[in-house]
Amino acid sequence: MGETGRYLYVVTRDLDPAALVDLPGLGGGSLELVEYEGLLAVVSSVDLDEYGEEGLRANLENLDWLEGAARCHDAVVQAVAAVAPAAPLRLATICLDDDAVRLRLREWHAALVQILDRVQGRSEWSVKIFTDERRPPAPAHAGGSGPDDERPSGAAYLQRKKADTEARLAGETAALEVVEQVHETLAGYAEATRVLPAQDPRLTRHEGTMLHNGAYLVEAAREPDFVACVTRLVAAHPHVTIDLRGPWAPYSFAMLDQR
Amino acid sequence: MTLAHPERTEPERRPLGDIALVDLLDRLLGAGVVLAGDVVISLAGVDLVQVRLHALITSVRADMVGTSARAEASHDG
Repeated sequence: MGETGRYLYVVTRDLDPAALVDLPGLGGGSLELVEYEGLLAVVSSVDLDEYGEEGLRANLENLDWLEGAARCHDAVVQAVAAVAPAAPLRLATICLDDDAVRLRLREWHAALVQILDRVQGRSEWSVKIFTDERRPPAPAHAGGSGPDDERPSGAAYLQRKKADTEARLAGETAALEVVEQVHETLAGYAEATRVLPAQDPRLTRHEGTMLHNGAYLVEAAREPDFVACVTRLVAAHPHVTIDLRGPWAPYSFAMLDQR
Repeated sequence: MTLAHPERTEPERRPLGDIALVDLLDRLLGAGVVLAGDVVISLAGVDLVQVRLHALITSVRADMVGTSARAEASHDG
């Protein structure tokens, strides 16, 4: 190993170090705690050949590397979040030494405490809504269409196009109403919500259009009610696909208001 | 856990098509606490996903070049 840096996974407090035993850090490094006035950063040493600017630039373009790093980072965050409040750090936050880590904990102390207060005893749930392309709305112009190569008359063409547009707009409006209703209903079970950007279908390969990508911060005691509510919404809205995933560590609710 | 509509069956998926992985990367790169470390990556998180995975997407999904071009055009707008 060449020069090393300290990779930061998560900031927490009151953590029993037993939670980290046998859990590997990136590259097999062992996890350690860096403390500053009640805050604990979970860190491990990483090789700067791999995690320096140059190494990262190349490695972040390697999906296998990225996935491995992301899953390891998340495993550490999850292990911490299971037993203590957790403010997960963005992937690839690296300091040169423990003093540099403490400097960050000092600089952002108040904001980090605020995040830990916000997420304590709560988890993040992801709810996505997709249009279901396999169940298109009833066609507006059933029957009467000629062979493909037959050119429709100008008037018929315009009429058909208008009907198509109207059907599409009606479908979109209905879908947006479903999104609004689902989001509002779920927000009633959540301490906080965030609407994330819809994901690129080239990455997820989902079918249909992602209409909603919501994150919900849910109190542990309310999780059964939240999940039951999603189940009811799935049954109530058969024309869209509602996808529930969780619980996650509260990544989407651990944002510093600094940008 | 996943509660998709029961009639929906998932198509076969290559690793890139793993929604859970994309969810994870979205959160690890686009959310979480951003403390400027000593190793600086100049791009913002979301751009990181889009830019860094761009090469992979286009090479893996060369069959969707038309879609990509349209998607990018709308990003610019």
